[in-house]
This record gives sequence, structure tokens and C-alpha cells, in this order.
Amino acid sequence: MNPANRRDILKYSAAAAASTLSFPALNLAHAQGGPLKIGLITPLSGPQEFIGSYVKNGAEIAVDQINKAGGILGRQVALEIRDDKANPAAALAAARELLGAGINLHTGGISSAVVLALIPVMQQENGVFMTCGAGTEKMNHENYSPHLFRPGDAPDARGRAQARLMATKYPQITRWTGLIPDHEYGRTMWGIFVDGLLEFYPALTGKKPEILDPILLPYGVSDYRNSITQALRQQADGVYNATYGGDAITMFQQARGFGLMQRYKVVCDAANEFLVARGMKQQLPPHWTGMHYYAEANKGNAMSERFVADYLTKTKDPEPLGWAAEAHASIYALAKAIEKGKSTDTKSVIAHLKGLTWDTVTGPRTLRAEDNQAIKDVELVYIEPAATDKGYRVAQYQKVEGKSVLLPASPGKKLVLRTA
Amino acid sequence: MMFADVLTLLVNSLTWAMATFLVAAGLTLIFGTLHILNFSHGGFFMIGAYAAYSLTQALGGSESMAMYLFGALAGGAVVAVLGLAVDRLVLRRLGGVDDAYVLIATYALLLVCEGSTKLIWGLNYRSVMPPSVLDGAWVAGHAVIPKMSLFIIACGIAVFVAMEYFLNRTSSGRLVKAIAVDAWMARLLGVNVRLVYTATVAIGFALAGLAGGLLLANQTLSPSLASGFVIQAFGVIIIGGMGSVSGAFLGSILLGLIDAVGQWVLPSLPGLPFFIAMTLILLLRPQGLMGRRH
Repeated sequence: MNPANRRDILKYSAAAAASTLSFPALNLAHAQGGPLKIGLITPLSGPQEFIGSYVKNGAEIAVDQINKAGGILGRQVALEIRDDKANPAAALAAARELLGAGINLHTGGISSAVVLALIPVMQQENGVFMTCGAGTEKMNHENYSPHLFRPGDAPDARGRAQARLMATKYPQITRWTGLIPDHEYGRTMWGIFVDGLLEFYPALTGKKPEILDPILLPYGVSDYRNSITQALRQQADGVYNATYGGDAITMFQQARGFGLMQRYKVVCDAANEFLVARGMKQQLPPHWTGMHYYAEANKGNAMSERFVADYLTKTKDPEPLGWAAEAHASIYALAKAIEKGKSTDTKSVIAHLKGLTWDTVTGPRTLRAEDNQAIKDVELVYIEPAATDKGYRVAQYQKVEGKSVLLPASPGKKLVLRTA
Repeated sequence: MMFADVLTLLVNSLTWAMATFLVAAGLTLIFGTLHILNFSHGGFFMIGAYAAYSLTQALGGSESMAMYLFGALAGGAVVAVLGLAVDRLVLRRLGGVDDAYVLIATYALLLVCEGSTKLIWGLNYRSVMPPSVLDGAWVAGHAVIPKMSLFIIACGIAVFVAMEYFLNRTSSGRLVKAIAVDAWMARLLGVNVRLVYTATVAIGFALAGLAGGLLLANQTLSPSLASGFVIQAFGVIIIGGMGSVSGAFLGSILLGLIDAVGQWVLPSLPGLPFFIAMTLILLLRPQGLMGRRH
């Protein structure tokens, strides 16, 4: 017999790897007799990987905590983690694989496009999915499905809370524009913010706000100067920014050269939490931003303090961002629904998630039975550059009661907003 | 349209064009000489940026112009050394193989670059302050011209002039061009073709690293930096004519102008005129502006 050469070894290795990859469902199915498996489908590569890493860490911490406390119904919990690349096709493939392996409960999903794509498959294959940060309003409206839950901030609550805060704190600033990425999330958040401005400015200040056309920015590009120049031509006093992560930092950096952000009396950012602040430090334009969870504001909440300690141990990061908290909350919601129904069956879990009140790192939340949306307080912070190790500091903090800004449930119906 | 608007539009378009050309310069040089379409070029551009970032931060920040330029040159040097390793380990094995293998091999290299960046620098976004002399803007009437934009334009033109001079006015450059046309004949005439290939790879990679360092204060540093710029760079070398340095230069200016004018005329459809223009140019001139029809 001839000794195997390098090509043979490569060939057989590839065949072995391919056979394993071809039947992951089979392998998982064999394992279902063990711990209770929950699917975690979130971006672990590509531009959204950074946020996905918070989701993964938050979910893993929740699972560790639950397991240390004895598990769910006496069963240990294990996560089956898949990378959705923030891409609907990859997310669908991952969901089908996990559902095919008998895993019916899932969390993750931070991209609106991914979450909307998962609705039909969860419905057809009888699964449950909890999103940890997708901002689309459609999932509670025209695309509503009983199989999809949002245990965190609703886009209408977030955007309207921000608008109300602006009307309260800056009553003299009535001319607004937006720096809005040209995609589903950006347009949704701008529409909701405008709706809030049009409601709260007249109600709180007696003045009608002037809404200028937003500047639409292309997504994921390296140069925003043409958009910045367009913004310079406007005479707005306040600006709502919905660009996100690395795009936002690039845009702010390039805007610095034009002095754009200094022209605005107030900058309100939709959802960057500390992403921009950590990336820009001393270059940061001072701004308000929305947080899913701000640890400092939840001091005294034992669950929050334990979460921060566990997060620090796991990642060496003392300041977990909100996506980690949303993943943590989603696992606890699933655990409580299973325990209440004493079953992991999809029908039972959905029935017990609806109307569920459970403890989270931001305090108790309730999942509204009509449209599966959590009623949760909105946390808003004002960040400014500072000569600290972090390079920024939170100068102000506001917690807005979720119930007071969340629009009424209307599952199956398109969200109707005021327009300028 | 006022004069100030025209001036701003022109500066914006040239900034985009020169930033893209800086990234595309090494890519088109390597393709023109070795006929290898290096898909990993953006990855090495990114590593150059991170290397310049680490070096300048370690030495006290990038606020001084000298330190900023030193960081960029050091980024170029680091990536040139990596280029020599890549040449030895990967590119030499790709001579004469089908284009599909080249694509897969260099795409794999891009993934290696992204993975290495995550391991070394992590997932956090980073950014740096521009040097103090480049911070701010010149205001000419109603036109606002950021100094950083003028710096990028100057860098792009300087790199183009240096490359044109090297390729057309020096014996080494003419040798590179001769080998690009007929490596077999050059070898028959006693030229050390392998050495010229290696030097070309080193220069091409150094240009990628240099671009990363020069554009450091222009955008976010993150492990996904590679993909954003490399798509633009491929766009301009395809439009300009594959392998042509002057074609890439002209292509970047043309696309930069189209993008800026397009956004002016159709602000609600950002990016659309850019892709329509690319399609039209390729339909009318598939070999690119300066490319030769085969």
C-alpha cells in the first residue's frame, strides 16, 4: 500500500469535514436529550459583529447565571450559537438548521432585515424568536406574528421619548433636520422622531416645530462629504442622527473638518449608546443618545449589579452596552415563560410570554400581550468629551417611562405617524 | 449654482477620488505587472492603517504632522514586509493558474487579514484626531474647504506623479513595464524577472499600507474597513482600465465627480448615479478608459 500523500490527506480531510457540515442537524438532534437548547442567531462576522459580540456575551451570562441557580425546570441550559452575518439569507439558513434539529426557542437578531425575514420561518416551523435590538416597527404592525417578541425598546417608544426630551429641555430649538441612513431603520427612526416632535413641541412649548428635509446618507461608504455639504446648506438648530457604529464615526470625523456638528445647538442620536463615544473619545460631538441599558442608572438593582460584575469577569469590560442587556433579558423571559407553563413547547411558551412580567437589569418589564412588545422605560444619556481615561463622560441621564411614550398596540396594521 | 457650491463640489469629488486612488494605486500596479487581481488589497490597506494607529498612539498621538506622516510611512513599511511574505507564500504559486484560483486565494488572504486584525486590535471602533495643522477648514466666501480634504488631494496627486515618474522616467520603472508586456522576452534578455516581480509586490503593498496611514484620520478603524474602500478601488481600476495607473487616476476623478454631482441633483437617491455611470461606462468602453481591447 502506498503511503498517503499530502493531496490524499487533504482530500480525505475535506470529505470528512464536508460530511460533518452536511449533517449538523443530525448531530444536534442526537444531543437534544441533554440540556435545554436555545438557539442564538446573531452577527458574529461582518460589519455588525461588534454588536453581535455583546448579544452573545449577554446571552451566555444569562445562561451561566440560570445554570448556577439550577437551570430551567431542573434542566441545564445550553446555547446553540449561529452567525447570521446581519444577512437575512444567512439567518434563514441558521434558523432552518436549528429548527430542523428540534430547537424551537431562539434569541439574537439585531438587524431589522434579519428579523423580518425570520418571521415566516418561525411561523411555519413553529418556533419562537426574541430580537435583541432590531428597530423595525413592522414586526409589531403589518408584519406582526405571535412567534416574534421584542423584549427591549420599541422604536416608537425610543424615538418619541427622545422627541419629548428635546421639547422639554430645548423648547427654543424648533427647527430640526436629520442625518439619516438610507435604509429601513434610518427612515423608520426619522419618521417616529418627527411624529414625536410634532406632538410634543406644540403640547409642551406651544410652538410648532419646523421640520427640514432630512439628509439621506448612503449606507456603509467611506466618504460622507457630499451629504455633509448638503447639511451645511440647511439652517437647522437641532439634528437627529440615525447613522450607526462605524458609519457614524466616519461621518462625524469628516463633519469635523466642515464644522458641521458645531452648527447645531443640540445633537440627538438614535441608538449608538457608547459605540461612537468609545471610538471618538476627545473628538466626540456632545450628544444625547438612546441606550437599551445604562448600568450607572440601574445601580441598586441587584440583577444589574450582578450582570455588570459577571460581564466584567467574562470580558474585562466594566460597561456592558445595551445589546448585552437585551440578550440577557430575552433568556430570562424565555426561562420564566417555560417555568410558568412547565413546558418548552412553542404554544405554551408563546402563551406564557404574552403578558409576562419579568425581572431584568433595567427593572421589571412586561411583554404586551397584543403585539409582543415589551413595555420598558427608555434610557437616554447626554455624552460629552472629557479628559478621562475613557475620553468621554455621561453628563446627564434621563429615564422616560415606557408606557407614556409607547404608541398603542395595533398588530396587523401599519403604524400611522404624523408628518410635517 | 453659486461659485462656492461648485468649489465645494469639486473639492469633495477630488477628495473622494484621491482617497480611492491612494487605495487603488498598489492594486493596479500589481495587476498591471503580475496580472494578479489581489482581492486582499483592502485587508493590507486596513493593516497599514492599524499599524500607523498603533505606532502613533505609542509615540504620543498623531497631533503633529511629522508624527502623522511618520506613522503613514511606517504603516507602508510594515505592509511592504508583509507583502514580501505574501509573495513568497502565496502569489508566486498563482502564476499561470486560472483566475478563479487567484480570486479564491486572495479572498482567503483577505479573511486572514480581517481575522488577524480582530485578534490583534479587537472589535472596538477606533479613530484618531487629525494633525493640528489639518484640523479645521479654510473658508472661501460661502465655501468651506476642510484642510484634511486638501491634504488627501495633495497625497493622491503626489502618489500619482511619483508612480508616473517611476514607471516612465526611470530604468527600473521601464523594466517593470517591459515585463508587464512580455515577461518571457525580458527573461530571455537576462532580466531577473522574479526580482522585479518581488519588488513590484513590495511597492504595491507599501502603497496599500501608506494609503491606510495617510487616510487614518479620514475614517473609522474597524475590522470591516477593508471592504468599504476595496469595492471603490476595484470600481476605479475597472473604469480606468485594469493595470493602468493613469487610468485609475482618471477613473477615480470621473467617478468622484459623478458621485458628487449625482448627490447634488438627486439627494434622495444617494449612490444611484454612481452605479448608473459605472454601468454606462462599461457598456460603452468595456476595456475601461485607458485599457486596451484584447
